Amino acid sequence: MSDAAAKSVQDERRSRLIRNGVLAVLALIVVLFPLIGDASMENTMILALIFAIGASGLNIITGYTGYLSLSQGAFLGIGAYVAAILGRSMPDISPFVWMPVAGLTAALLAMLLGLVTYRSRGASFVIITIAFLFLVQFVATQWVPVTNGTAGITFPLPTWSNAVWGNWPFHLVLVGLLALSILVSWWVRRTKFGTGLIAIREDEGKAGSVGINAPIYKLLAFGLSALFVGMAGTVYGYYLSFVDPIGMFSILNSVVIVLAIILGGRGTLLGPVLGAFILVPVDAFANNYLGGGNIRLLVFGGLLVLLVVLLPKGIIPTVQLLLEKRRTKGTVGLTGSITALADRPLPPPREKLAPVGDTMLLQVTGLEKSFGALKAVDGCTFGVPEGSITALIGPNGSGKTTVFNLISGLMTPDAGEIVLDGERIEGLAPWGRAHRGIGRTFQMTRLFREMTVLENVVAPLRDFQFRQLGLGAVSGSEAEKAEEFLEFVGMQAYRDARAGSLSYGQQKLVELAQILVLDPKLIMLDEPAGGINPTLIERMGGLIRELNDQGKTFLLVEHNMPFVLGLCNPVRVLARGQVIAEGSPAEIQKDPLVLDAYLGDDYMLENRSGDGAAAKGEGR
Amino acid sequence: MIALTQTLILGVLAGAVYALMASGLTLIFGVMRVINIAHGAFAVLAAFLTYSLWSAFGLDPLLAIPFIMVVMFGIGWVVYQGAVRHSRGSHVSMTVLVTFGIALVLEGVMGIIWGNRSASIRTDYTDASVEVGPFFFPQVQLLAAAIAVVVLIALYFLLNKTWLGRAIRAASVNESGALLVGVSVAAVAALTFAIGIATLGAGGAMLGAIQPIVPGTHYQWIARLLAIIVLGGLGSLPGAVIGAMIIGVTEMLATTYVGSAWPVAVPFLIIFIVLIVRPQGIMGARLREDLVS
Repeated sequence: MSDAAAKSVQDERRSRLIRNGVLAVLALIVVLFPLIGDASMENTMILALIFAIGASGLNIITGYTGYLSLSQGAFLGIGAYVAAILGRSMPDISPFVWMPVAGLTAALLAMLLGLVTYRSRGASFVIITIAFLFLVQFVATQWVPVTNGTAGITFPLPTWSNAVWGNWPFHLVLVGLLALSILVSWWVRRTKFGTGLIAIREDEGKAGSVGINAPIYKLLAFGLSALFVGMAGTVYGYYLSFVDPIGMFSILNSVVIVLAIILGGRGTLLGPVLGAFILVPVDAFANNYLGGGNIRLLVFGGLLVLLVVLLPKGIIPTVQLLLEKRRTKGTVGLTGSITALADRPLPPPREKLAPVGDTMLLQVTGLEKSFGALKAVDGCTFGVPEGSITALIGPNGSGKTTVFNLISGLMTPDAGEIVLDGERIEGLAPWGRAHRGIGRTFQMTRLFREMTVLENVVAPLRDFQFRQLGLGAVSGSEAEKAEEFLEFVGMQAYRDARAGSLSYGQQKLVELAQILVLDPKLIMLDEPAGGINPTLIERMGGLIRELNDQGKTFLLVEHNMPFVLGLCNPVRVLARGQVIAEGSPAEIQKDPLVLDAYLGDDYMLENRSGDGAAAKGEGR
Repeated sequence: MIALTQTLILGVLAGAVYALMASGLTLIFGVMRVINIAHGAFAVLAAFLTYSLWSAFGLDPLLAIPFIMVVMFGIGWVVYQGAVRHSRGSHVSMTVLVTFGIALVLEGVMGIIWGNRSASIRTDYTDASVEVGPFFFPQVQLLAAAIAVVVLIALYFLLNKTWLGRAIRAASVNESGALLVGVSVAAVAALTFAIGIATLGAGGAMLGAIQPIVPGTHYQWIARLLAIIVLGGLGSLPGAVIGAMIIGVTEMLATTYVGSAWPVAVPFLIIFIVLIVRPQGIMGARLREDLVS
């Protein structure tokens, strides 16, 4: 190890020590705060703890999973209401007994809300969460027999003497909940579950195609995100000693929580907590010294606009980025530098493409798919023989990528059958098909950009079990296997690089390594040779051949004819959504129908104008 | 039967004004994929400005419309350049947050200027109505609906018959393509936002004459307007008109036959259900991108 490297390790150890020391002191101050602060400061502290718990929970779905929600405040209110309703009928029982009940109720309702992410994302999901909040408020207002309507519910006095204990019980329970919440968030981040959530955030469609069962992941994430805030709601209610629909379901509560995670840093462990500890005092100041009400609206509305515009990443990531910049100043990054792709010799091109057997690994029959009036796939029928490298070629817009999407499950066919290894799969979700042995790449590579190369390669899952969720994100044997595949494609030098920083060709290689982890029976490559340099094309061909020798079956979409003709047998030709010709490369080259389809539109413009509709809409 | 028809008449009249107010929201979404949560707050702001003109100078709210439209156009342009513009390019949910922040700021500003209580504009025709056979048409609403139709037709011509309209539509279909053929997308986006807020201003001005105005009601307005465009299909102008009619009539029916508390919940329920069951709404086409992602 060189001196510089040793020094940087030492530096890192020292800065970690300083960081942990600072965190420990801060934690101690928070725990013992009632000894230090006066009543008003103590009040602010309790609110800060509650909102920090809310933000830490929301971080799981917004920071990790990428679903921005403005209904987190609703779960705080739901927790408070559950405690109020139960406490009113059984006043002699300790408030803390209701905590788990409140937490679970909030978690279940959050999972119900999570169900809608099956159909809506992005902006429509945010709108749904606003609607959810107002609907919950509406129920609390209208369901008078249970919630006492707009009049609200007054809590029974706590079972302990307030004169003796003060706010200590509330304070300590909240500190405990916050600690638990942070701990769970930390644990999630380093398990398979957490990696899956981040994969969903980065690219949900892709996550499905590498075997991640997104709906279950998201449901669990939603449940988890509301569990602790629901429990904190109990304390909040007892602390305020009163709940009513206007106060409990004010959208400003949700705004403060969302602001906290944006300010501190989405997706970081402590950012949301930091954000809450900054914003709640600001809120208290606006309330106590600036007149509250309208000023509060101005403060939070203004902050929302300013933060998203000026500091969209948040404090912690911004600071990290600055430190990283200072640390790596003057050093050269790996990407862009020249490294040998691999020293391993490639298998030589084959003299003759061996014919393969009649057993079809994949059989597609009568597949149909329309987009509005455009029939992209129209009765497509073909097979992929076991052990073959089958090519699917055709002019732009002939429906190749759509066929790929239908086979891998990103789209559902309007009609037709897809049989893999004797099993019908057209009704399965993408991850179900990945689990059964389909691995695909994308024409425009779709790696999880914010993850490292290694994380990308260990992300795919070959099956789904609940216990797998708790496994470490990058376990020893898996990492070994992943590195093996990275070495196979010649990308091991980039294992710690951010996937988004790689060149297009490198991303293609990583994407191939990524799906190999699925150990697929059928590897589907969408334009493996498209847009990359000749050396890399040759290398890609070599890799495909080598894998094929090991027994993998391939289905390729490709426009590079020399590449296809030197590698594939059989070839299927697609035009206007149908297979118009199939056979060996030699047969295809001579087929008049194929020539017609390729030369097509221009060639026939004079005598058959208007019949060239097939060229519409290049597949993406 | 007469009562039902009367309810439908009132629903359609309200729907016409809703359509005008929702047209800007759907236009802004269509062109720049920004869901302007502040739309409701801008409407209430226009109503308050009309109120001030009326109470200070006695200006008739319907005569104030051209002036209000100009002022709202300016406000829309400034807000777009000052805030909304900077959030474009980041994740869509971020633009929702920015416009939500603008809504909160507007609510606060209105609370400070006009106070958190209701204000009403009373003109000599406020309580008058036209009677046709057994039915009555409140005069304010009749005038408002007529003006709404006029402004909507003008908007339709602007979008379909002018160069600016073609530029707006080009930018909405393919931003980089529009850029390449010489459309200044940034300027078009700012103009679209301002036009959307100006047409909303016309609706807001009439709103003040029809019902009492309170700063905090902007949540109900944005809910109603969102329900309309979600129902009609995000980005579709004809869809917004159809959606507005449905919401207007449904609200009237709910008030008359179910109870006065329910219209508050109707828009939220509609948003919830439509976005889950048929996210593309009535007129929105399902795009290939939607299916893939």
